Amino acid sequence: METAYLFGIGLLQAILLLLVAPLVSGVSRVIRAKFQSRRGPGFLQDYRDLWKLLVRREVIPPEAGYIFRVTPYLLIAAMLLIAMVIPAIIDRSPLEPAGDIITVIYVFALARFFLSLSGIDSGSIFAGIGASRETTIATLNEPVMLLALFVVALLAGSTNLGTIATTLYTQQISAHTAVAAAMLAFAFATFVEMGKLPFDLAEAETEIQGGPLTEYSGRALALMKWALYLKQSVAVALFIAIFVPFGRATSMSPVSLILGEFILVAKLLLVFFILAFFENTFARFRIFDTSHVTFAAAGAAALAFAFSLGGV
Amino acid sequence: MVTILSAGIIIPFLGALAALLVAPHVARYLSVLSAFLSFAAIVAVLVLFVGDGKRAISQDVVSFYGVAVLGFTIDNVSVLIGAAVGLVGLLVCVYSLGYMSLENREHPDEGRTRYFFFLQVFVGAMAGLVFSSTITGQLFFFEITGVCSWGLIGYYETPKAVSGAAKALIVTHIGSLGLYLAAALLFAQTGSFELSSLAAVSPPIKAAILLAILFAGWGKSAQLPLHIWLPRAMEAPTPVSAYLHAGSMVKIGVYIFARALISADAVPEVVGVVGAIAATVTLIYAFLMYLPQQDLKLLLVYSTIAQLSYIFLALSLSVFGSPLAFAAGVAHIFNHAFAKSLFFLVAGSLSFTTGTRMMPLLRGILARMPLVAISFGTAAFAVAGVPPMNLFFSKFTIFAGGFQVSHIHLLLFVLMAVAILESIGSFAWFLKRFGYAIPGQPSERIAEAGPLPASMAVALAILVALTLCSGVAAAAWLR
Amino acid sequence: MLDFLATSILFCLLGGLGSLLLRRWEAIAIAVAGIGAAGAGILGIFAAIPVLMSGHGEVFSTSGPFPFAAFTVRFDPLAALMVLIISLVTAAAGVYSLSYVKDYAKRGVGAMGFFLNLFVASMMLAVVVDNAFYFTLFWELMTITSYFLVIFDQDQEAVDAGFLYFFIAHAFSMLIMVAFLLLFTHTGSLDFASFREADLPPWLASVVFVLAFFGFAAKAGVMPLHVWLPHAHPAAPSHASALMSGVMIKLGVYGIIRVGVDFLGAGAGAAWWGWMVVAFGAVSAVLGILYALAERDIKRMLAYSSVENIGIILMGTGLAIVGAAGGQPVLAALGLGAAFYHLLNHALFKGLLFLGAGALLHSTHTRDMAEMGGLGRRMPWTALCFLVGALSISAIPPLNGFVSEWLTYQTFFAAGTSSQFAGRLLGPLAAVALAITGALALMCFVRAWGMVFAAAARSEPAADAREVPWPMLVPMGALALLCAFFGVGAPLAANVLSGVSAAVLRADSLQISSGWLVFPGNPGQAVLSTPLVALLLIGLLIMPLSIALLRRRRYVAPRIADEAWVCGYQHTPQMSVSVAGFVEPPRVIFRNLYLLRAGEGPVKRAIETSVRDVTIAAKRVEPIWDQITSRLSVQGIEGLGRHVQALEGGDLRLYCVYILATLAALLIALAM
Repeated sequence: METAYLFGIGLLQAILLLLVAPLVSGVSRVIRAKFQSRRGPGFLQDYRDLWKLLVRREVIPPEAGYIFRVTPYLLIAAMLLIAMVIPAIIDRSPLEPAGDIITVIYVFALARFFLSLSGIDSGSIFAGIGASRETTIATLNEPVMLLALFVVALLAGSTNLGTIATTLYTQQISAHTAVAAAMLAFAFATFVEMGKLPFDLAEAETEIQGGPLTEYSGRALALMKWALYLKQSVAVALFIAIFVPFGRATSMSPVSLILGEFILVAKLLLVFFILAFFENTFARFRIFDTSHVTFAAAGAAALAFAFSLGGV
Repeated sequence: MVTILSAGIIIPFLGALAALLVAPHVARYLSVLSAFLSFAAIVAVLVLFVGDGKRAISQDVVSFYGVAVLGFTIDNVSVLIGAAVGLVGLLVCVYSLGYMSLENREHPDEGRTRYFFFLQVFVGAMAGLVFSSTITGQLFFFEITGVCSWGLIGYYETPKAVSGAAKALIVTHIGSLGLYLAAALLFAQTGSFELSSLAAVSPPIKAAILLAILFAGWGKSAQLPLHIWLPRAMEAPTPVSAYLHAGSMVKIGVYIFARALISADAVPEVVGVVGAIAATVTLIYAFLMYLPQQDLKLLLVYSTIAQLSYIFLALSLSVFGSPLAFAAGVAHIFNHAFAKSLFFLVAGSLSFTTGTRMMPLLRGILARMPLVAISFGTAAFAVAGVPPMNLFFSKFTIFAGGFQVSHIHLLLFVLMAVAILESIGSFAWFLKRFGYAIPGQPSERIAEAGPLPASMAVALAILVALTLCSGVAAAAWLR
Repeated sequence: MLDFLATSILFCLLGGLGSLLLRRWEAIAIAVAGIGAAGAGILGIFAAIPVLMSGHGEVFSTSGPFPFAAFTVRFDPLAALMVLIISLVTAAAGVYSLSYVKDYAKRGVGAMGFFLNLFVASMMLAVVVDNAFYFTLFWELMTITSYFLVIFDQDQEAVDAGFLYFFIAHAFSMLIMVAFLLLFTHTGSLDFASFREADLPPWLASVVFVLAFFGFAAKAGVMPLHVWLPHAHPAAPSHASALMSGVMIKLGVYGIIRVGVDFLGAGAGAAWWGWMVVAFGAVSAVLGILYALAERDIKRMLAYSSVENIGIILMGTGLAIVGAAGGQPVLAALGLGAAFYHLLNHALFKGLLFLGAGALLHSTHTRDMAEMGGLGRRMPWTALCFLVGALSISAIPPLNGFVSEWLTYQTFFAAGTSSQFAGRLLGPLAAVALAITGALALMCFVRAWGMVFAAAARSEPAADAREVPWPMLVPMGALALLCAFFGVGAPLAANVLSGVSAAVLRADSLQISSGWLVFPGNPGQAVLSTPLVALLLIGLLIMPLSIALLRRRRYVAPRIADEAWVCGYQHTPQMSVSVAGFVEPPRVIFRNLYLLRAGEGPVKRAIETSVRDVTIAAKRVEPIWDQITSRLSVQGIEGLGRHVQALEGGDLRLYCVYILATLAALLIALAM
């Protein structure tokens, strides 16, 4: 019975994130506009964009195959899966058998696989290069993400998201420096994963027309954009769930759940607000310079690992 | 049994005499007949031997004043090797039917009487030596084979052939001095020429006798430094090279050493040390000599020297207490006879059909002459020691036997390591040769090659089958 | 079980011999060889499964013709797993060959069937025999039969590839032989049973392990002994490549486990062996996939990818050895379980991918990915199967590759939480290596599928390609289904594989799955349910679909097709991202690692130069013996003769003096 409830909570969490994702990205857009001394389109603009795009005509390159058409749906499904397993609202993972850090990283990989493949499938050069960059950045970023998560997992004694989060929350871990360094490294990795400036090489609008999204239009574009907004929210939610675990529901009562939802949205907005500062003060990194930056992040993760070995 | 054996040894001599009286083109079939009868006699002896429960017997045939000078011993090892040399002899006689003809592009020749004469004398002498139980008997047949070799190497009567023949005779005769010395020492110590009396001799003299026999073996089996005659012996017609200088005569050296070890019971270790070190040095030298050779027959010569070194190594290691190594050495004699004669007959087939033995000119054989190509491949991989060919089985057992005794002294480990490295090296070399010669587009010479006579094809096919089966057969026989 | 196995081997032998004898009638030869192999495969599966499920094996022994080696067969769970892997890929390759080999008409299909069937038979025999001599025999037979398959095309490239392959294989199998002979020296018998019970001094055990490790590692394709793989696997016909890459290199890992864990390990081993294996595994994994990325030839790419996957398997194996040596049974069982799972999975998806590459070769007559493109439309079923293979090899959930990599990660985690410092330090680092490998593999196979099947055709042959006939599709489909089965059905398979590792370690079985879950021994550490992930992925598709359906207006214009945007120019297929361009970023970023590969050239040149120098020296030495002996003997005799000749003065009076002197000497001697 409890499993069914947890499943329901997971579903709820997923739908919540799906619905809130355009809002937080809208917030980002407004903050950027403010930075650039503009008024901005308003917080709800992304909703309006999606609403309109869903009924626009789709124009597809003739050589694009089924991969191109399936990818938007698959991407949303994959991100919803991750959204379901993060212990974001409640202090446990709603879906333990899928709520493992390795599983989560590889479901991100699943999404990336199809995103890149659809980029190549469209036959567009810009989408192809975007796909290449997307996978390259993953090569640089995934090890950092894995190492940072591994460090906290080792300290917690399990790779299960819920267990890690709870152990960190209840301060059963004494290696504070290690956790802090891991948090920094993971924050960085999440930032890269989100594909926000300065790491938005895959969809560098001014260079490659939107990367893998180039040839999408109409309904498919709406779903793709939504999927990518969802991905950003999910990545941040993952970070929050592990490293900012305060204010989650500890029981399954409806009141605490609703409270947990609000707190999650608040945390999301806060993080996106902070991220907006980083986003708008850097220029996009060139592809070959990105590696230098990610190596630095890798260094931070390695430092976290060293601290955890020493028990510091 | 002994009467049948004596008949088997005498028939080829009679056939040789008969060959002098008949026309050459009859003599060739006569040689096949006498080789066949000799082989049949040996097979009969084998059957009787097995039927008798593999009981070893020894019997004197000729004695002077109570001292046995010539005798026969029929045991496991002699029957095995006797069967091998008899069979190879028969196949070579069959092969010669086709080879000695005017169609031969390298050496067009009708096959004169002397060829078949010396060939048959050799068949008889070889059988005699293998079954001989006395050292004088061995010496007698040893020298006869030397003369046959001289006659056959010089067959084409070119200056190189004649000088090669002389060199062969002189060097092997120098080697036979060791056998003379051993005979004298043995008689002085025990009053008998029987090899079995070697067991009773005191260790220092025994070591001297064995080393003398070893020296004779080096001469006949072309080990360093008495190896110089074998490359020059390649002036002989290729069937002779296959028979004498791969299948039989060079085996005499290892055989007399093996028989001496059997007869000697407790062998002093110094014999083993000397034998093993000399074998390893020859092994390395022979391998290094592979590298510059362009003539297929010369490559095979050095390969033969290397394989004989392996056998010497195995026999020497058995002195330290490994019957497994001894059995492996004997099995290697058996297997190598077939594999190397096959390889030489392949070289002969190539020179017959294309007129050249130079390896750079011979490519893409598989496309044009599949039987020759398969024979080449079988022989090459056999010599390289790859299963399912026969030499793998005996080589593995040699290594196993060697390792068995290697803990006695670090030096033995080193020798084993060298032998293994050489094995890998020669494998690489033959693999490269195989890859060069067999697959791909035929080269000019191969594309214009003439037809292969049936007698040669039959001999090749039979030897291929033997190369595939004899490894298991030898091991099973020597249990 | 054993009679099924014997019949399976008999099928191989009959198929091979029949193919050779009937070579004049090519269609019949192809059929005989294919059915022989397929039958052998199916029988092998039936032979192996009971042993795997029950955990008990069978032993058969007969004395055989060799006095020093008894022919013993030990069909234990490890052997059964290997037989299963061999059989699965063989069955697929056999059916596949029915159609594929027709491309080789008039080039010796009879011989190909012969060598292929013998190859399979020798592999099966090699894994079940329990004696060092017979093992070496079948090991070498396996190499020589596959050698003939590699040189089958008979062009210079194939022959060179064959030479490199056979030379390295033989040279290193000599190392294996030496390792066995060292054990033989110690125990006095060549039986593996005696090796198992041997009580070796630690230094000897280490020597044996190192020799055996390098010997088997060369066959497995571990760096830096992998140099033969990228040349040999592409040269062979595709179904043979599938067997070589999917199965034969696994026998190298089998050997390492047999010697390292079965004979020497499980208590008597040393931890540094395991770390050495992990180190080699990690390097092979990362460098292997990095080099795969640089390839345009699809089969060479797959060959390098095999190197990568062997590295992953060895990482798990290494940790198992560490665990066995250090008294951590859970780590040992988990490591071996993960390794065996990946062994099985890799055989399945690599076999599938090679068969797919063969299908592409059949349809487009090229192996160059830059010449393909757009084949997803023309060869839909091949595309689908290849997609499953690509997803599996990139470890995408919920397919089988993900499960085995997940278990490998959990092994690293278990090492990371162990009490030994080496484990705590190196376990997570190995996890990082695996992460890098996974990301690179994803890139590699996205590119592969994308360049070959997606977008538009980039050459005429690709535009005219047709789907392959059913004998080639069915095996690919079957392998793809198995990939899905071992992924989604992981809870079913995991415990069986754990049982195999328990049998090898001679310990209690570690339960790693129950119900719908897979877990690394301790469910508290982690839990995974691939069926759940699969169901959720499919189920959650409802949401975007419903969004799309809900917001649908009747007067929305239907989808239209229009060219991709290239700044206003006419789009041509060549204007899509290129095979080389796609991977340029990682090639630049990791250029230092690619430099390591440049070492191959100088090494080869050095070897060639030294061989040439030795040859010249040998040529000069050869006549020396002749000259010395001839000169000494001939000149010596002539000199002696001249001196003797001086005695003959020709003067009669001198001769009288000689006579008188001799007479006098004799008289004096008589008087004394």
